Amino acid sequence: MGEQRVTSTSTLASTQATKPPWYRDTTIVKWFAQVAALVLVVGALAFLAIVGGDNLEAKDIATDFDFLNINQGFDISEGIDSDPDTGGRALWVGIVNTLRLAVAGMFVATILGVLIGVARLSQNWMVNKAASAYIETLRNIPVIVQIFIYAAVLGGLGRLTADSDFLWGLGYISAKGVSLPRVFVADGFYQWAVFLVIGSVVGFFVHRNRVRLQESTGRITYPNLWALGVLTAFAIVGWFAHPMWGFLSGVFGSIGDAWDSIPQILMQLLLSALVVFSAASWIRRFLDSKRTPAGLAKLTDDDIFRIIFAGVGGVIGLLFLMVLWPGLSSWIVNSGSDFWHFLADKFGDGRSGQPVDAMMPTIEGEGTLLKYGPQGLTMTVGFAAMFLGVTLYTAAFIAEIVRGGILAVPKGQSEAASAIGLNRAQSLRQVILPQAFRVSLPPLGNQYLNLTKNTSLGIAVGYADVVSIGNTLLNQSGKALSVIALWMLFYLACSLSISVVVNWFNVRMKIVER
Amino acid sequence: MSGMITVEEAEEVVALPPEQPSLPPGEWIRKNLFSSIGNGVLTVLFALLLVFAFRGLVNFAFENPERDWDAVRANLRLYMTFAYPLDQYVRVWVSLGIVLSLSGLSAGLWSPDGYVSARRISTWFLGGGAVLLAAALAVQGQLQRDENGEFLIDEDLELIRGSWASGLGSRISWFALAAILIGAGAAIWFGLGDRRRNTFVRTVNLTYAGFGVIVGSLWVVRYGHYNGSPAEGTHYADPDSLVAMSTRLPWTVMWVLLGVSYFVGKAVRGWPLLKPLALTFWGLLPFFVFWVVLRDPDIDWAHVWTTDLPMYLAFAVIGGAVLFTLTNPSLGEIGRALAFVLLLVAVFTFVGGFFGWFSMLQKARLSFVFLAAFALVANNFAGEFAKRRTFVIGWLLTLGVMHYFVTLINSASTLNIRSDSFLGGFMFTIFAAVFGLMFSFPLGVLLALARTSSLPIFRLLATTFIEVVRGIPFITVLFFFSIMLPLFLPEGMEVAEHGAVIVGLVLFSSAYLAENVRGGLQSVRRGQYEAADATGLTTAQRTGLIVLPQALRVSIPPLVGQTISSYKETSLFAIVGIFDFLRIANNVVPNQSSPINFVGHKREGLLFVSLIYWIGSYAMSKYSQKLEKKLGVGSR
Amino acid sequence: MTDAMTLHASSTAEMIVCDAVDKWYGDFQALKGVSATIAEREVVVVLGPSGSGKSTWIRCINRLEAHQGGRIVVDGVELTNDTRNIEKIRSEVGMVFQQFNLFPHLTVLDNITLAPRWVRKVPKADAEAKAMELLETVGIPEQAEKFPGQLSGGQQQRVAIARALAMEPRVMLFDEPTSALDPEMIKEVLDVMKGLARSGMTMIVVTHEMGFAREVADRIIFMESGEIVEVGTPEHFFTNPTEDRTKLFLSQIL
Repeated sequence: MGEQRVTSTSTLASTQATKPPWYRDTTIVKWFAQVAALVLVVGALAFLAIVGGDNLEAKDIATDFDFLNINQGFDISEGIDSDPDTGGRALWVGIVNTLRLAVAGMFVATILGVLIGVARLSQNWMVNKAASAYIETLRNIPVIVQIFIYAAVLGGLGRLTADSDFLWGLGYISAKGVSLPRVFVADGFYQWAVFLVIGSVVGFFVHRNRVRLQESTGRITYPNLWALGVLTAFAIVGWFAHPMWGFLSGVFGSIGDAWDSIPQILMQLLLSALVVFSAASWIRRFLDSKRTPAGLAKLTDDDIFRIIFAGVGGVIGLLFLMVLWPGLSSWIVNSGSDFWHFLADKFGDGRSGQPVDAMMPTIEGEGTLLKYGPQGLTMTVGFAAMFLGVTLYTAAFIAEIVRGGILAVPKGQSEAASAIGLNRAQSLRQVILPQAFRVSLPPLGNQYLNLTKNTSLGIAVGYADVVSIGNTLLNQSGKALSVIALWMLFYLACSLSISVVVNWFNVRMKIVER
Repeated sequence: MSGMITVEEAEEVVALPPEQPSLPPGEWIRKNLFSSIGNGVLTVLFALLLVFAFRGLVNFAFENPERDWDAVRANLRLYMTFAYPLDQYVRVWVSLGIVLSLSGLSAGLWSPDGYVSARRISTWFLGGGAVLLAAALAVQGQLQRDENGEFLIDEDLELIRGSWASGLGSRISWFALAAILIGAGAAIWFGLGDRRRNTFVRTVNLTYAGFGVIVGSLWVVRYGHYNGSPAEGTHYADPDSLVAMSTRLPWTVMWVLLGVSYFVGKAVRGWPLLKPLALTFWGLLPFFVFWVVLRDPDIDWAHVWTTDLPMYLAFAVIGGAVLFTLTNPSLGEIGRALAFVLLLVAVFTFVGGFFGWFSMLQKARLSFVFLAAFALVANNFAGEFAKRRTFVIGWLLTLGVMHYFVTLINSASTLNIRSDSFLGGFMFTIFAAVFGLMFSFPLGVLLALARTSSLPIFRLLATTFIEVVRGIPFITVLFFFSIMLPLFLPEGMEVAEHGAVIVGLVLFSSAYLAENVRGGLQSVRRGQYEAADATGLTTAQRTGLIVLPQALRVSIPPLVGQTISSYKETSLFAIVGIFDFLRIANNVVPNQSSPINFVGHKREGLLFVSLIYWIGSYAMSKYSQKLEKKLGVGSR
Repeated sequence: MTDAMTLHASSTAEMIVCDAVDKWYGDFQALKGVSATIAEREVVVVLGPSGSGKSTWIRCINRLEAHQGGRIVVDGVELTNDTRNIEKIRSEVGMVFQQFNLFPHLTVLDNITLAPRWVRKVPKADAEAKAMELLETVGIPEQAEKFPGQLSGGQQQRVAIARALAMEPRVMLFDEPTSALDPEMIKEVLDVMKGLARSGMTMIVVTHEMGFAREVADRIIFMESGEIVEVGTPEHFFTNPTEDRTKLFLSQIL
């Protein structure tokens, strides 16, 4: 570059870069503000904790989870166990009830919502207006009010008599609840389930093979039909052959015993090692991502924070496992062994009968309470009101999402589809719906989340869900903080699982798109 | 009809979309209902479905021996204001009067340009009349009674009903009202002829007229007022508890107030500063109505003269002087350092109080916090003398309002209250929704800013809070606050359950609001930040002047949606034992046995509550759709 | 401040000094030891293929990006983590963007007066008078009350120039100001820029407008792969480039 060289370092070389005073240094100010905020938040929380601790102590309320192991001595109106031995068992009954309601609600609300959403787009004025009336009425009334109304209506029905049947004896409806025919899991189910699992795996491979065949030869190979056939074959064979798995009982039993013999300290060490390893490997991978051919790139203060955060997280995890809650490890050991022994029991002697059974609802006599059990699938008034409430309410929102999703697909798409010669059904199935589904998926996940959260209103109509049973425990033991913590844990776990599933779908859809 | 204008005038104000030319009826039916055989079948099926659903609903609500709408009518006051003492009831009317006056004034000041065509008004009348007619025709036969007045029952234990015609007779007034509505609709339709399409009425005028008709009907129709005889088995109402008759005069006053304030607002439209002033009043209104009008505080004047006023003056003068200095444009970093010191002092007043180093009035602590907040933003208001003076006046006013309200809160209420709080019923729902929105909105914006910030600790704290709160049901939050909050407060500080659940609502909805605002923040393009930086704006100025105005505009529709959700969420207060109007409908009225027996009359109340909730959320959602359309059109 | 002052005193003619400036994005090095000095009243045009680090460099000069190695001194003030220096440099260096980046929720007038009023604390009336003057200069005084969305691209870019000038900067940076414009609007923006150059403003212009470079530039800097490859007068650059990479570039575009 010769004489054109413009670099003038003469003035710069003569001076040192001045370091700004600390209160004007962006990096320092930035971190100072953040640390101050953190101290403020942690301080406020600590302040509340100290005050709360004092107040609780003054009222002689300890915050622990002992009540989970004590027999609380109350009955539960419905669920897998009407007379639980311990508080923990009672809570478990509540959790099962909540999940039962949530899963049934999601299933029905989705079907109903899609139907109404499609009806809302109908060219037919009458259909369109009917769907619109449904949506506008139900979504603008709080779900709790609707639940109250359903409960009031159902509770005001007549007494249960032999005449309270409908649909020619297929069901009974009365102030005691609604009873329907029931299909239930019988003795041999678990053995049969082994066949189903194997059938699914084989079906999956068959499906993959047929798809490959179709792609390579262009011949139509019906992969879905084949997979279904394989599964059905296994199911039919399994129906008769399932007692052959009886020997698994012994295997599961000994696994359970072996699991039982794991000392707590070993599990503690194992978990600690896992925590330390994951923290360390995260940091390592992070540093690797910053490595350049020229050596380690300059770490910004943000990067350093991340590394410190991972390290601190690991240390906290370690403290938690070793000091704060060593019980966690023994709990994992115990539940592991419980699980294997449970399986051993299910595969054990006398468990080789029919896998699945069904029955019609019957009543024992005038006014007798139908129980969840042999008399058919009985929904109590509480369950029915909750189910109707959350399902019909959520269906209105799902309908709007479905409608929005379909409307979001540009008109050009269906025009393009007909231009390449697809008929209306093909274009709907292959072009419109996949795109509409992609748009609707995240809000749909949100609605499932809302539905699950709305099941917590069972307490209002006496449905024994996790909040309602937790509230009883809270009133009996006074341990409000523990119960509230358990609620939060449970619902956060639910939210997390739903968002994991939705995200998984989302990612899959996105890959399909590209 | 001063409110009526023709399309030529309207077009000057708003560009109206051309209305679709309508098809002749026969063609319309063929196109929309019977375009194919399948469509025809669907039409018939859904028509039957609608008819049966409607008939079921109407009969469920009205034509049932177990229905007694007196359970609602006689308890309207309970539903609306719960246990507010009767001898002080004028305070409720004054509050409502203030709200309506301000509404009228604002409507006059802003003069919203919404128009409804005469054709649509006519359709409303015709539609309403048709629905009423259908409801009247959907009646079941009247129930038969024996000579003792007991209902007759057949062998299947079903109630025996008379002919359909016998039921029609009991709804003669429905037919009359339907005839009036249809007649009015038809009169507009045919009276205006072709002009119905381009004759318009201002929405404001229409709303006011509708309100007037309802108020006027109080003088004609004797809602809930009837004479019964205990001997005949029909109950008679306690005259005190009958609302409709005792409220016609106050409602008329309200109606007149609304109209007068509207014209006042229109008259003073051009005056400067009125709009920001009106907005400020709207902001202060909930506090004023709650603590001054409804609560009727008993102010200790001796304490005011000896302590409160001197304290105000001290903070006003010293704080004003400090702030005036801080707005000196040539101050530089010293100003920021001083503001930071003030912040430390403010925090220290709380910390010191906690550890018991000194005692201090809560008001003084709050004053320090306010002063620190003003000091922190002071450099944005630096400039010429006038600008600095405005800032200091703002300080004096804000401080004054704060001191005024804290004094009121600290004064005992003179109300003679029967329950633990005078707030209840629908009044509480409204206050909870309004306070909830007022406090959760700024909190939500802050959370959203923290979550999108480039600073990792802020991001971490905000994300944790938002995700945890969004992951748990509102009812557990309410349990937490109604049970735990009193336990977590230091000695001497108390919060009523009503306050505790509102705190819960604020925190809960702030997490959802934050997500809506975050959506808006993410829609602001990167270049906006860069342009703001390049022109030398500080981070605070960039956020307040460039980013937030754009982000909030985008998030208005979801924010209205969130407001609807919060309004509906307030219904959960009933579960934690707050006497809001849902709890009154579900637990209070069905247990009333004297002076009138309403035991078991739950469904009327629940239907009434649903209707009120429905009206509120439906109106808001319609408004939000309109807004969305308007904003959408504007941005493209 | 004192250190910066002395530096300033010794280098009045040097408006911008960059010394071995480095910048990484993750493991990608966008600037590799860029060194250059721009004198007061000088107009420098930066040329180079896309991805060569031109934009990154001028964005480093007013701290839209932080440089990670080397030093940058603008008008005697060094760019460091010092908030005061950053504020000072930003209010002395105006910038015009490829996508205009006008504030869509403010009128043209408010766009221009915003920074003077909030940063320089200029009274509103003065700021507006000055803004009208500037709009006069860029030729669109009649658009003052409109919103950016109602203007054409060329008009928007001229407002953006006026907005930058309202802060009375000592240096103007142009980041491909005409790349997002329709061909018929490029000229109106270039005319404004030429006028500005003639008035003696120190300018660094990243552009692909060779005509502009040839006519207005005092010097041309050619960058590739984050390095300054060649520096010279337009004459030297277009007629007699020394470096092979420059020749290749010119052969591709001319």
